[in-house]
This record gives sequence, structure tokens and C-alpha cells, in this order.
Amino acid sequence: MNIFQTLQDIENQVKEELPGLGSTAAVETLRLRLLGKKGELTALMKTLGSLTPEERPKVGAQINQVREWVTQRLDEAALAMQAREREESLRRETIDVTEPRDPLPVGSAHPITLVMNELVDCFTGLGFEVMEGPEVELDHYNFELMNLPKNHPARDAQDTFYMDDNIVLRTHTSPMQARAMLTRKPPIRIICPGRVYRADEVDATHSPVFHQMEGLVVDEHVSMANLRGTLEAFAKRLYGQDITTRFRPSFFPFTEPSAEVDLTCVACRGKGCRICKGTGWIEVLGSGMVNPKVLEMCGIDSNKYSGFAFGIGLERIAMQRYGIRDMRLLYEGDVRLLSQLR
Amino acid sequence: MKLSLTMLREYVDIPLSPEAYAQKMIMSGTGVEGIDDLGAGIENVVVGKVLTREKVEGSDHLSLCTVDVGRESPLQIVCGAPNVAVGLLVPVALDGARLPGGVKIKKGKLRGIVSEGMLCSATELMVPQELYPSVGDAGLLVFGEEYPLGSDVRPILGLNDVAIDFEILANRPDCLCALGIARETAAALGTRLREPAIAIKEAGGDIHQEVEVRVEDPELCPRYCARVIRNVRLGPSPLWLRKYLHSAGLRSINNIVDITNYVMLEHGHPMHAFDLDQVRGKQIIVRRAHNGETLTTLDDVQRQLRPDDLVICDRDGATGLAGIMGGQESEITENTKTVMFECASFDRTAIRLTGRALGMRTESSGRFERGVAPQTVMAALERACMLVNLLDAGDVVSGAIDLYPSAKEPQVIHASVKRIQDRAGVEIPPQAMREILERLGFGVTLSGDHLTATVPAFRGDLDGEADLCEEVLRLYGYDHISATPLVGVTTQGGINPMMSLRNRVAAILRGQGYYEIMNYSFQGIKEIAKLGLPQSDLRMQPMPIRNPLGEDTAVMRPSLAPDMLKTLAFNMNHSTQAANLYEIAAVFDHHHPTAEGLPTERQQLCLGSYGPSADFYTLRSVVEALLRSAGIACEVQPGADRYYHPGRSARLVVGGTVYAQLGEVHPDVADRFDMKGRALLAEVDLQQILADAHPMGEMKPLPRFPGMTRDLAMVMDEAVAVGPLMKDMEKAAGSLLENISLFDVYRGAQLGQGKKSVAFSLAFRAPDRTLTEAEVQKAMEKVQKMCGEKYQAVIRA
Repeated sequence: MNIFQTLQDIENQVKEELPGLGSTAAVETLRLRLLGKKGELTALMKTLGSLTPEERPKVGAQINQVREWVTQRLDEAALAMQAREREESLRRETIDVTEPRDPLPVGSAHPITLVMNELVDCFTGLGFEVMEGPEVELDHYNFELMNLPKNHPARDAQDTFYMDDNIVLRTHTSPMQARAMLTRKPPIRIICPGRVYRADEVDATHSPVFHQMEGLVVDEHVSMANLRGTLEAFAKRLYGQDITTRFRPSFFPFTEPSAEVDLTCVACRGKGCRICKGTGWIEVLGSGMVNPKVLEMCGIDSNKYSGFAFGIGLERIAMQRYGIRDMRLLYEGDVRLLSQLR
Repeated sequence: MKLSLTMLREYVDIPLSPEAYAQKMIMSGTGVEGIDDLGAGIENVVVGKVLTREKVEGSDHLSLCTVDVGRESPLQIVCGAPNVAVGLLVPVALDGARLPGGVKIKKGKLRGIVSEGMLCSATELMVPQELYPSVGDAGLLVFGEEYPLGSDVRPILGLNDVAIDFEILANRPDCLCALGIARETAAALGTRLREPAIAIKEAGGDIHQEVEVRVEDPELCPRYCARVIRNVRLGPSPLWLRKYLHSAGLRSINNIVDITNYVMLEHGHPMHAFDLDQVRGKQIIVRRAHNGETLTTLDDVQRQLRPDDLVICDRDGATGLAGIMGGQESEITENTKTVMFECASFDRTAIRLTGRALGMRTESSGRFERGVAPQTVMAALERACMLVNLLDAGDVVSGAIDLYPSAKEPQVIHASVKRIQDRAGVEIPPQAMREILERLGFGVTLSGDHLTATVPAFRGDLDGEADLCEEVLRLYGYDHISATPLVGVTTQGGINPMMSLRNRVAAILRGQGYYEIMNYSFQGIKEIAKLGLPQSDLRMQPMPIRNPLGEDTAVMRPSLAPDMLKTLAFNMNHSTQAANLYEIAAVFDHHHPTAEGLPTERQQLCLGSYGPSADFYTLRSVVEALLRSAGIACEVQPGADRYYHPGRSARLVVGGTVYAQLGEVHPDVADRFDMKGRALLAEVDLQQILADAHPMGEMKPLPRFPGMTRDLAMVMDEAVAVGPLMKDMEKAAGSLLENISLFDVYRGAQLGQGKKSVAFSLAFRAPDRTLTEAEVQKAMEKVQKMCGEKYQAVIRA
């Protein structure tokens, strides 16, 4: 058989066998048989030496052409085969992605902490610094420096837990105003979140332990308008740009003038609903201009400086935000409720 | 405080709907809690006259009546009331009428007899029975006066009215009366106030012949006024007066007592009426009680007095507690012939302290505690005498006693218009300030920036420019305050280090699926005792609250553990399969007070965990991660407080400092907390972590030279603790050791009883060169030698 016939035969073998090969391994076997060190085409190349110089280029070119053709065919077949095998393996590895497994607990802060963090974010962004202080507090800070001298009838409004004659469980976060003013110099911009205590019997809307956040600004030229500007910025950040404030005259011994601040009802956006009892407003905090007597008692020149203060109840915001209707649930630690938080 | 709108309109014009009026009051500083429509639910009930009455046959109580309701023909009505009688004027519910509570009246048949309506009792109309003569619940309401037949009963019964429930701020005791609210109303609406003009008809005589009054302590009783009424004609009060009292929730007693209560409701001044004939020696002495003195008050209780209590005495001794309660002897009775009216001003603190000490609080003491202005005492007393004239309840003796040794000068406040504007943040024109203050009863002079205001006598709550600012602003309108951002020096806002630590810790815990809980800061000593700590442990002597709500909230918590255990048990008992909880809060220690004398408050973290995947090592990893996040690498020491499992608990320690303790809850303690299964607890001292936290420094560069790893498996006694062993191995291996980790602990029969095989992986690296085999080999030999000598560990092939 001459070389050309052999080459033709190799071509025919490839054409016949290749389509029937079922794996990349089989293709590799064929490659070795034809192109390997001991392969048929390799063997043909070795016969070139026995040819005449005239025949050699022609035959050599012919062999190379066939070899290239074979290599190409085999490479193509191998690639196609690999793709098919990958596909098959993917099919084999398919799992039922709808099969349920134990849910991973998300974990969450307490509703009060969630609200507190939000308020803290809001006010630190406005240049307020967080200050914390004792929950068991001196009567002096809790009452006297807040312009509530001993036996002042307004003390009755705050059912106070006493440790002894001079030590109380703070009834509000306001004593932090005094602590801030006595240790800092204006300009003062602080917020003081924390636990406060009133001797209220426990029910759906009362708790002897609850949370407030005090805010205090003392600087030159501070006015009620700045108080409103600050609180409105906070309200809009917390609830949206359409929320505004309503100021109502009120009384706190440590502020003058004093204002009770309502926000546009978040549920109905001011239209009037069950939650706001049809008024379109919800009461959120008490505030006012720091009483000059308080400034003076805390060592701040009330002729030069003025200030405003506010106190926000966190429970009310948390209950409204998370639809909690009974305050007791906040202090029960029931995982069935907590695990709904995120 | 509820006031009827009709009553208020006696004093001031209110040209507004109740709702609009309420809104005006709220926005000017007088709270309104609600508006009650007094006639709500009553329709088609008219005045009728009973023309005839016959017994219904076969019934022992039903009557068949004909009733004239002003129509062409009378109605036929069956009635069951025992007091129905011919000629009476009664309320008649017509066919289609409505009564309070949604009751509908329809024409119908009773015992086969057609009844065209219903005759009504006071109860059915929800009208106070005591205002009308009637017979118990079943009795008809009978009108005492003539009214046109067929006219609507609502205006007659005062039910075409609304009651407004005012919420008076603590600084405005002057508003706790009709006149006070009327004054505020006039100021808020800009309408005219009509104060009752005082004119008394005196009947001669001389009060000084009737009684002698002496005030021995003018500090506690700055003003004492008295008037005497002779020939007292005691009797019931007229309907208008009874209605007035009833609308304020007071019972009508008799004309004299009712007058004192009327004045209190109108002027805000509590008054007292004495039967002067029972006042021994005709002497009234106001003094402090003697030590050991006792007094039987009107409520028939004998009270032990202190020298701080102010008493009203006659010649023979104390008869009443000033401003709180009168005495029995001089009480007004049906035999009273001569009355002395007392109207005084008492020191509010003294009244408050006496009330507190004796556990007494009356309408009168409540008002004195909040403050009663001495300046207006006499006006109230005069008003009472005027009512005596009006009701013809007696003869007013000429002259009055008025002991007011240091009469209060009118209070004057000087202020700057500019500073008021600056404080308000509103450019209120000076003329508007003047006009507002005048409406509020101030005398005002305005000269340039200088504003001088003379405070009206009834206002005791004002003492400076800031107060004037509020007065002006609240009537000018808080709505004029426009939201203006803060200006001035920029301040650096931010959170404090403790909050920052809490946030970091909380973030790690949330990532591990933990939920935050909150408990009260106080608890019961019984709960703490469940921990089983020895009595000598300071946590067993927590800080007590002097006036706790109850036994289970009586002390400030010294530890977060009991509440956490309680919460874990709560969840176990509510079929929750697993829980990972944390609480961050202060614990209180009064045994180590601060410089201010307050208890030390330390922020603590408490973790609680139970469920299929909860175990000691997982919890320890969590706590260690928390500490690592603060740059604190702790050593694990076996053992913790005795409420932990003795063999499954540990402390995390650096040097002598304990940062945390954790472990399984002791089964005895778990039982005491009613736990259904095993649980884990950890307590972490955040305060200590904050004190010792290391700031994050520069990062180490990545290694530039290859390292080498060698494994080492050794058989040793079960008792060998792996933690300390690894520390020793680290030391023995020297500086080339980069890391050592445990990868297997194996126990099996072929090792022998009480033995374990422990396998470690040791990674070596030098920062500046490629290690040689020999260097590593040398280090490994040192490690093996140490393990053999110190721990009798044998290398496993």
C-alpha cells in the first residue's frame, strides 16, 4: 500500500470512527493511535527518509496536511465531548433547591434599641454628642437643679422611686442636662438616651422602667425657632419629608417657655385616623427653652447664653413603629416576637 | 376639671363651637382632654302632665295613665312607677323616642293595653337622682317647676350642654376654677370677662363681738379672713346651685356648705364653715400643733400631730387641720344658728407635708398644695356672703376679719422686648406684647426696649423675663415659631466609647443569631436567691428601693443572670425549641459607692442560650470573639460562680482580671428557675472591656517566605488540660512557631482506659528567610521533649 493510500485510509478511519466515540478518553485513545509517538501518522513521517529528494517535499506536505486535518478534527471532537460531559455532570449534580432546611436566625437588637440607634444616628448627624449617666441619681440633679425643689408639688406628677432621702431612680433623663452643663462649656449639643423610672403599676401602656432621650443645646442666640428647626429635621429624617411639628404651650419647671410637640400622625399622614384620634397629630415629646434659673444653677451665664432641651419617649415610638399594643411585651423576651425583628 | 359650657358662658362670651373653642384653648396652653355632649342619646322626650291614673287590673304595680303632652288629645301610657300621681309634671318618652344607652321607645301593648310612650325616671335619662325628688330607681323624675307641656326636657335638665374636660398644668392652680378658666378664655379669644360684681347686704352687729381670731404663725398662714352669719336658715340649695355642684362631681349638703363649695369651684379658694356656737370661747387660734397633741377629724379618725402641722383651735384646743379637714365639734348641723366662714391662705409646703404625714388628701388640701393666692382670699369670702344674701340663708354680720400682716406687694417684672423676641425666635411687635399682657390682666408700661409688667394677683407662677416670653408667645401663637436650623459654632457630634462598644458587641451577636432582650432594672431578692450564692456574697445584699412597687421589684439588680434565666425558662415553657438571647444593661453595687455617694453602675452583657446546637464550646467561641474584637486575648480557667455547672464552666481571664464567665447552668439552679432542659449562660463585664480595650493597630504584612507545617499526635492522660498544654508547646517551640492548632482528640480502647490521643498542627515560618528542615526539626524536638517530661505524653506513630 502506498503512502497516499495509507493517508487516505487514516482520513477514512477518522471519518468513520470519530462520530461513534462516546467519551473524551476514547478520543484521546484515537489521538494516540494516530498522532502519538507510536502513532500511524508519526510512523509515516519516519518513512520520509527513505524517499527520493524529489518525492520528499511533496509527500511530506501531504502528510502534514493530513496531520493538521486529523488534529483539528480530534480537537473539535474533544471540545464538543467535554462540553457534553460537563453538561451531563451538571445534570447529575442537580439538587432540589426548594427542599427546606432550618432557618438561620437573623438576630436583632431590641425594638427600643432599634429606635434609640435611629435617633442617635439622626442627632449625631446634626452635631450632637452622646452622653450617658447614672440611672440611680442624686435628688439634686434629678430634681433640684431641674428647678424642682424639695416639696414642689410638680414632683407629685413624677411618682418617684427613692433609695433614700437624697438618692432616687431618675424619673427622666433631664438630670443629664445638669451633668452636661456642670462639666462642659458652651457650645453644648448633647443627647442622653437611657432608662428612666416611675412608680407606675404595670399595664398595657405603663411600665415602671422605660426609656427617654434627652437633648440639650446651650449656645449664644439659641431660640424656640432653633428648637423647632432641630426637631423638625429629626422628624423628617425619622418619618419622611411630609412630616411637620405642632408646638403646644405646656409646662415643665426646667424650661420656659415650654412646648409639647406633636408630629404629623405617621399612620394617616395628618388626615386623621384611629391612632391620632382624628386629630392628625401624635404627641411625641416635651421641650422648651432651658429655664434661666436652671442655667444659673448649673453655672452658665444666662445673660450670655440660652439653650433648649427636649425629652423623647422611646417606648411610644417603638410601639407605634412595630405595632406593639402592650408595653409588657417589650420586657418579656418572648422569642416568638423577637424573631420577627430584623 | 370638667366645666359645662353654659356655666362658662355666664362669665365670658364664647362665640365658637365647642370643638373650635377647645382648639383655641389647647393652642394657648389650657389642655382639653375631652368634650362630653351631656344630652347625647336623648330624643323626643317632653314634659307631660299626668291627668288621670287607674290601677291596671291583675297587676299589683302597673297604672294606666292619661298624660297631657300639649297635643290635642292626651296620650294613654302604662306606667310601673310607684310615685306616679295625678297632677305631676314628668318626662314623657314619646313614640319613637331615644334614651341614653341606645334605648328606643315604641308604641306597644302591655298586658293587652295600648301604651303610647313611657314616663321616665332620672336613671333612665341618666340624670342625677339627687337633683330631683323621686323614689329610688323605680321612681319617676318629677319636675319641681312649671314648664310648657310638650317642651323638650333637655334644656330643662341641663342636657343641651357640653362639658369640657380641662387639663390644668401644674403651674396654673389659678385655673382650677370657673373664673380662672373664664379669664384664660377671655384672653385666648379676646372676648370680655364678666366677673360677678360683689355687693353684700350687711345686717348690722359687729363681727368682733362674735368671734376673736388670732394667727400665731403668719408664715404658715399668711392671710386669714372671716365673716359671720347669724340667724342661719339652713335648708336645701336651689336647683341651679345643686346642678352647679353636681357638674363638678360634688354632692349637695345644705345651703351653707354648698355656698363654700360653690365659691371653691368659682374662685378656686377652699373655704370652711364653722358652727360658731360650738367654737369654745368664740376664739379661733391658728398655730402649730404641740408635740404629742391629738385631734379627731371630721372623718372620725384620731390623729397624732407633729409641731410642723398647722391646726385651727378654739379656746380649749385643736379642732381642725388647717386647710385639710375641719373638726367634728364645729361641724354644721341642722341645729346650727351662727356660722363663721373661714377663707384663708396656707403655706403649700406645710399643707403638703402634713397631708403626707397623716395620709390625708382632700379637695381643699389638694388646692392649697398647688397654691392659693393670699391676695384674692377676701374677694372669695365676699362672694360667699353675697350668696348668703341671694339664698337668704342667714344674716351677714357687719364687718370682716382680715389678718394679713405682710400684704404682698404686686409683683413687677422688668424685661427687654428684644430679649423676649430672641428667646421666642419670633419678631413679636412690642404693641402686640402689650396688648396680650393686658388681656391676661397684667399692667404694662412700654418704653423703647424696656417692658414693665405688673403681674395680676392671681398669678403666682411667674418670676422673670422667660415667663413673660411664654405668656406673650402662647397667646401670640406657637404657630408663629418657624423652624430655623441651628447656627453658630459647628460641634463634633458622635457616640461615646461605651455606646460604640455596645454597638460592636451587639453587631457580632446579631450575626450569630442572638436577639436582644430587656428586663426591669429591679428584681426580687427571691429571684436572686435562686442562684444559690452564699449569704456573704455582695450580690445577696443588693441595693433596696425604699418605696418599691412590690416584693419582686424591690432591689436594684446586682446581676443580669436571674432575669436571663427567667427569660430562658419563659421561652422553654412556651415551646420555643431554641433561643440565643442577650441583654446589655447596668448592674448596681452600692457596697462600692462613687465619689458622689451613688452606687457603682457597671454595664454588663449577659448571654443565654439553649437548644439542639447550644453547647459550651460554641458559646465560649462567641464570647472569645467579643473579647478579641476589643483586642483582648484571654486565658480560659476552669470554674465559675456556683450557679454554673462545676465541670462545664470557665472564666476568661487576663492576669488577675476576669472579663467573663460562662458555662452550663447548674441543674439545681435550672430546676429553681423551672427550666425544662439544659441551658448556657455567659456574663461579660463590658465596663472592664471598655477600660482595657486595645485600639486596632497597623496590620502585619503578608509573609514573603514559605512556611512549613508539622503534625504531632500524642497519647496522654485524660486529666491533661489541652489549653495550658498548648501554651507550653508554644513556649517550647520558640519564635519560629507561627501558629498551633488542635485538629483531633481521639479516645479508644486501644489507647487504654483514661487516655486520649490529641493531634496538633504546628506551622513554622521565619519572616526573613526560607526555613530549613533542620531548624523546624529542632523546634519540634524541643516541643516533644517538653510534652514528654512535663505531661508524660507519648508520641503516636
